[in-house]
Amino acid sequence: MPSKERETSGDRVDRCVTGVEGLDNILNGGVPRGNTVLITGSVGTGKTSLCLEFLVHGALYGENSLYISVTESTDKLLKNIIPYDFFEDRLMKESRLHFFDLPVIYDRLGLDKPEFDYEEINILIDAVTNLVSELKVKRLVIDSITSVAYRLRSEEILREFVLKLGARLSSLGCTTLVVSEISPTGERYSSYGVEEAISDGIIVMGNLERRGDLLRTLQVVKMRGTMHSRAKYVLDLTTTGVLLVPLLKGGSVAAGGG
Amino acid sequence: MAGKIAQRLMELPEGSAVALRMGAEQYFDAIRAILDIYAPKKELDVLYLTSTIPSRSIIGALEVLEIPLDHIWFVDCISQIMMSAAEKHPHAIYVESPTMLENIMLKIEYLIRKTKDRGNIVVIDSINSLAIHNNTKILSEFFHILVNNLRSKKASTLIFSMEQYENEEIRNMMNLVCDETIAVEAESGG
Repeated sequence: MPSKERETSGDRVDRCVTGVEGLDNILNGGVPRGNTVLITGSVGTGKTSLCLEFLVHGALYGENSLYISVTESTDKLLKNIIPYDFFEDRLMKESRLHFFDLPVIYDRLGLDKPEFDYEEINILIDAVTNLVSELKVKRLVIDSITSVAYRLRSEEILREFVLKLGARLSSLGCTTLVVSEISPTGERYSSYGVEEAISDGIIVMGNLERRGDLLRTLQVVKMRGTMHSRAKYVLDLTTTGVLLVPLLKGGSVAAGGG
Repeated sequence: MAGKIAQRLMELPEGSAVALRMGAEQYFDAIRAILDIYAPKKELDVLYLTSTIPSRSIIGALEVLEIPLDHIWFVDCISQIMMSAAEKHPHAIYVESPTMLENIMLKIEYLIRKTKDRGNIVVIDSINSLAIHNNTKILSEFFHILVNNLRSKKASTLIFSMEQYENEEIRNMMNLVCDETIAVEAESGG
């Protein structure tokens, strides 16, 4: 199956179609290929599910896809994954879909220091980009950057890591989703404020309380290289994938959330 | 009576949005017309949103009327708010409250995807009970988005309205979103 790209008249952007129908509509056709996008939100907002669906659709379109788990072991993750109607076992057998645990990569690289400096970061960037290159990966998810950042000595190192990794992956034609954990009341889109400033796109996932009801929401606040909606949407995580509908205003929406 | 209602429905084009105005005494005739005559003839899957009575009660009535459930799916947004401990039915999915209008749309979208081999008709039972829990602005917005979304998928929408609970705002809302109104009138001898 050919890789999924979309070009419409007047739109020369090479897009990575996420396969999440509602999100592709919001993004005017998909994420511009090679972008590094921050998927940010508090716990339980659906970040990992969205990222996994992005990878599964990519693999179904014939694009090699890679998930790098930083905290949770991929065995545990796969046990708890939503049983998607569209998932096919062959994707893993045919090496379209790969899962790696970052702690295993740390071990292999001998990165056992509690805190990383520039030297360790460069080793890590080389390891990730080599993996992407060897496996011919076109879609990558790092879940989460927050856990990587805990081991970095300073914000400058974090900045260097995100910038350099993003540039290297983009040059390989790889579209990357980087998960970022924030607190529900946080005013920033990332833990350190650095990641959001240098990523190509930011998708915020949150919980919105309205008259006692808790709604899961999604909002694209930034995406370089494409026009996109900036409205807030309500989402549901289902076996048919992430579903999105517009948030109703109705003059009754309380401020905050998201 | 059910046959007459079904006949009117058969005349409607695909993707129509129709208000079905009725008295409480015509309620089960309307349900029979849709679920037992119209939908099977048109080979449609029925997505039945209930905010009036729990899906369990409607399913019970369908069993009495010997209407098979194979192609009928419920979005039930009233059972949970009533703290009903009833066993979940495999043909029903539940929304916590009738105020979660976006979640209602999401569940309908989910069922459309799950029943994609056949066409769909979406029954909203009823605009009056949804109006108890939601203000007019947000409810109008909900119907506007839902009906247009369903129309784009060539799915028809039937909106139940109980005449005795109608008001000016509900009538205006139905006029705004519906292509046609069918008034189900009582007839002597049933």
